[in-house]
Amino acid sequence: MAVKAFSDEWAKQFKDEVNRSSVYKSAAKGWKWTVGLVVEAEPDKNFPESVGIAMDLFDGEARDIKVGPATEAQKCDFVITAPYTRWKQVATKELDATKGMLQGKLKLKGDLPTIVRYTKASQEMTECTTRVPVIWPDAN
Amino acid sequence: MHDACPGHMARRKLKAKTKAKAVDYADQEPSAFASMLGGLIEANVQSSEAKQRDFDSLAARVGIWVTDIDEGVTLDFKKGSLVVHNGLQPKRNITIRAEADTVMNLSNLKIGLFGMPVYYDEVGRGVALKLVQGRLKIDGLVGNLATLNTVTRIFSVQ
Repeated sequence: MAVKAFSDEWAKQFKDEVNRSSVYKSAAKGWKWTVGLVVEAEPDKNFPESVGIAMDLFDGEARDIKVGPATEAQKCDFVITAPYTRWKQVATKELDATKGMLQGKLKLKGDLPTIVRYTKASQEMTECTTRVPVIWPDAN
Repeated sequence: MHDACPGHMARRKLKAKTKAKAVDYADQEPSAFASMLGGLIEANVQSSEAKQRDFDSLAARVGIWVTDIDEGVTLDFKKGSLVVHNGLQPKRNITIRAEADTVMNLSNLKIGLFGMPVYYDEVGRGVALKLVQGRLKIDGLVGNLATLNTVTRIFSVQ
């Protein structure tokens, strides 16, 4: 069943998808840092306030994924920031996250060698977001 | 007693201990790709003495063009410093052309015996396959194999 984008239900389904993925489990072996996704507000897209997704990821497992204020996500070890529309493009496979980062469409904060070492894991994590059926706030 | 107004200063030269910035950017507004590669190389070099030695010995101009985003950089290695340019600049020794995924995978190549990149594990085989398929192109490889290996070692996060 489709869930509201970046809601608590979405976070739960996203976490389940990540934990179901054997690709992620193996690619993220050894990962021990928190990751924050900041979805910046776009009022004209019916997304009036910035939202943060704080992910507690450990050794190939998503231990917790929470939706909250952007400031909480910004405290994570790695933070990826983009406006709502960009995240929607990532989740609908219109934009590849790796390309998005190289083009500066998604802004990354954190230790670069570490994130590059886990490129495959982050790609699979993006794949997991695409598998969650979502109701977008700007959908007619 | 200490003289508060000394007429003469002791004749000793103070050696500046601060190291010059290893990575610099030619453009006032480096592209995201330029910043990312520059940042990656800087972090790699700072974290490994072997990479620092490679960095200190390398003098070459290396172009990287990401074919699926139509963006590139030129890395001008100058034995211990690097200037990152937006886009492809002239007089390059080597130019690597590949898709974004492959460029990231180049950074994930393991370094094996004698400092040679490993092409027999999963990542290495993937890179080799792209080379065979023509989806990874390296101009200037002939005569610059050692340079390419040094660049690969500096890139590698493994």
